[in-house]
Amino acid sequence: MQIKRLFQKTLFGIIAMLGVIGLSTSWLAVDTVEGHLSEEYVSNSRNIAKTIADASVDILLNRDLATLQSLIDQFLGIQGIKYIYINNEDGEYMAHTFVPGIPEEIRNSDPLSTETVNRDLPGIGACVEVGSPILAGEAGTVHVGMDRGLITLKISAAIGQQVWLIGAAFILGVGGAIWFVHLAAKPIGQVLAYASTLAKSETVAPTDGEALLEREDEAGDLARLFQFFAGAREPPGTGAADAPTGAASAAGEGESAT
Amino acid sequence: MVTRRALVGGSLAGGVAAPLLRASAAETGAGVTESEFILGMSAAFSGPSRGLGIELYRGATAYFEHVNGQGGVRGRRVSMNIYDDGYQPDPCVKNTTTLMLEDQVFLLFGYVGTPTVTRVLPLLKKFQDRSMYLFFPFTGAQPQRQPPYGDFAFNLRASYAQETGGLVDNFVDVGRRRIAVFYQADAYGRSGWAGVRAALGRHDLEIAGEATYRRGSKFTSVMRRQVEILKEADPQAVICIGAYAACAAFARDAVDMDLRVPIANLSFVGSENMLKLLTEGREPEDAARYTELLVNSQVVPSYEDTSIPAVREYRDLMQRYDPDPPADLVTEEYTPFQHSFVSLEGFLDAKLMAEVLQRLGDNPSRAGLEEAVFTVRDVDLGIGELVSFRPDQRQGLQRVYYTVVDEGRFVTLEDWQERFSLDTA
Repeated sequence: MQIKRLFQKTLFGIIAMLGVIGLSTSWLAVDTVEGHLSEEYVSNSRNIAKTIADASVDILLNRDLATLQSLIDQFLGIQGIKYIYINNEDGEYMAHTFVPGIPEEIRNSDPLSTETVNRDLPGIGACVEVGSPILAGEAGTVHVGMDRGLITLKISAAIGQQVWLIGAAFILGVGGAIWFVHLAAKPIGQVLAYASTLAKSETVAPTDGEALLEREDEAGDLARLFQFFAGAREPPGTGAADAPTGAASAAGEGESAT
Repeated sequence: MVTRRALVGGSLAGGVAAPLLRASAAETGAGVTESEFILGMSAAFSGPSRGLGIELYRGATAYFEHVNGQGGVRGRRVSMNIYDDGYQPDPCVKNTTTLMLEDQVFLLFGYVGTPTVTRVLPLLKKFQDRSMYLFFPFTGAQPQRQPPYGDFAFNLRASYAQETGGLVDNFVDVGRRRIAVFYQADAYGRSGWAGVRAALGRHDLEIAGEATYRRGSKFTSVMRRQVEILKEADPQAVICIGAYAACAAFARDAVDMDLRVPIANLSFVGSENMLKLLTEGREPEDAARYTELLVNSQVVPSYEDTSIPAVREYRDLMQRYDPDPPADLVTEEYTPFQHSFVSLEGFLDAKLMAEVLQRLGDNPSRAGLEEAVFTVRDVDLGIGELVSFRPDQRQGLQRVYYTVVDEGRFVTLEDWQERFSLDTA
């Protein structure tokens, strides 16, 4: 399929425009999905921390740390939870799930803070840590570390789907653009071939010429115009050597004669 | 992991175990028939802690075989439905619901482990209208000794708080005030950790350092990182709250990394299994190097002390019946010990259990169990410590024993000062 030079720029323009739309849509989708998923993940983590905090009140007050440990061990089974630790009101670590020990970074942080923080812990990996106060902080705090790798994985999966969709739309758009440009360029090519044939005073196949001359669009008008010029300028029996060779010349002369 | 096996009561005459077809439990009441008491047991018979379940079972079985051989308890044989939980909480919960709801056993007996028992206690509370009680679990943790679940269990052994308290007090007495803790990252480890913390608190001291390991770790596990963490704390003693495979791995790596301080273990560790791992295949001098600083607390007296009547009886019945591990539950290699602290505890558990069943009278029912237990006052099991139960005292024994390794075996520690004083070191 050969596209006329006149339409190549148009085609490149359409593709570039589709590319810009695709990239900007992808960026927007990535940003939105990442934001929503991260927010949801942190929100779920906070809910888990709050659930543990609520369940810990009686246990902490009764000083039954084995039951408290048993409680957080059960939560550790939830996908994405990397660690849990509970501090009492004095900041002491009353129960935790760290092996082989509490990481230095956590020991050095404020045990009673419930702010969301990102951590990269040796042997554990990248985590987002959320906190929840127990009994409004009077009995301590619960901290839950969620696997950031899992968030990244989920975001990647969601984004992957979006990008795949946008990519498919881009490919379809480019294919469609090529097809439409080709469709628009085809009558121009036929007119060009027709004009060239007339200029050479060659015989036009009746079917080709008739089909073109019967068209109701601009291609048909041009064909009829070329036919008019060819008939007006050349008396019957005149040689083809005097006729102009280019279609553009023929069209120009036609316009000036009008 | 939850394969079931109906334990066979001993035959009446020859002491040889023989299959027994259980009558319907509904004959006279749940878990008891005209001819049988059916007890339910879930314990570790597989995995790195299988030695605990197996030895506890063997000790209990030796006594129940003896009782059944004498005609049973008021004419009723004692049998057990046993399940393997691999020392994991979820299978234990599943086993317990099966024992309670499907098997409809008379009572639960001889459970092994804190993380398992801790998860089962809420089940007992939920089904409290069935009067289902847990008897003599192999754990010294607090949850089954205090509200809200203390009313659903009866304990024979001393608690971890008593064991860790005794260890701390003795270490402090000999001048070792910087005490670190190596513990299993679960409810059992936390229970022991809390005991050490509380005991140190009574001396105005704090835990010098702590390191953890994951439950189910094997002897082949590397504990060097844990040793490094504790070495940084510069401890004068380490108290381990773990099972034998992991504690033996820690003791091995501690010696290899020149952490030359006393390493204490609680009764749950399974001393003989630990000793075997540390000494097997080593030259005597090498083996001594790995074990000379061990000090293990026990909740039963030494099985080597034949001056104790119950020990003589235990040794006699273990020799007579020599119970096999339950073949359909124990699929991994295991060589039973002729004697062990764990099987002696199982033996004493069974002895007291039979006494309680005896006190139920001729028309036993679950509803009468608690009352029967509270009639146990100053009962002598033959170890020199009288056992009593009251509504406010649901633990039979209080005493803690301390043992060290001499000539390849655990013997009673006579003198802390001589063995572990900082001056001696």
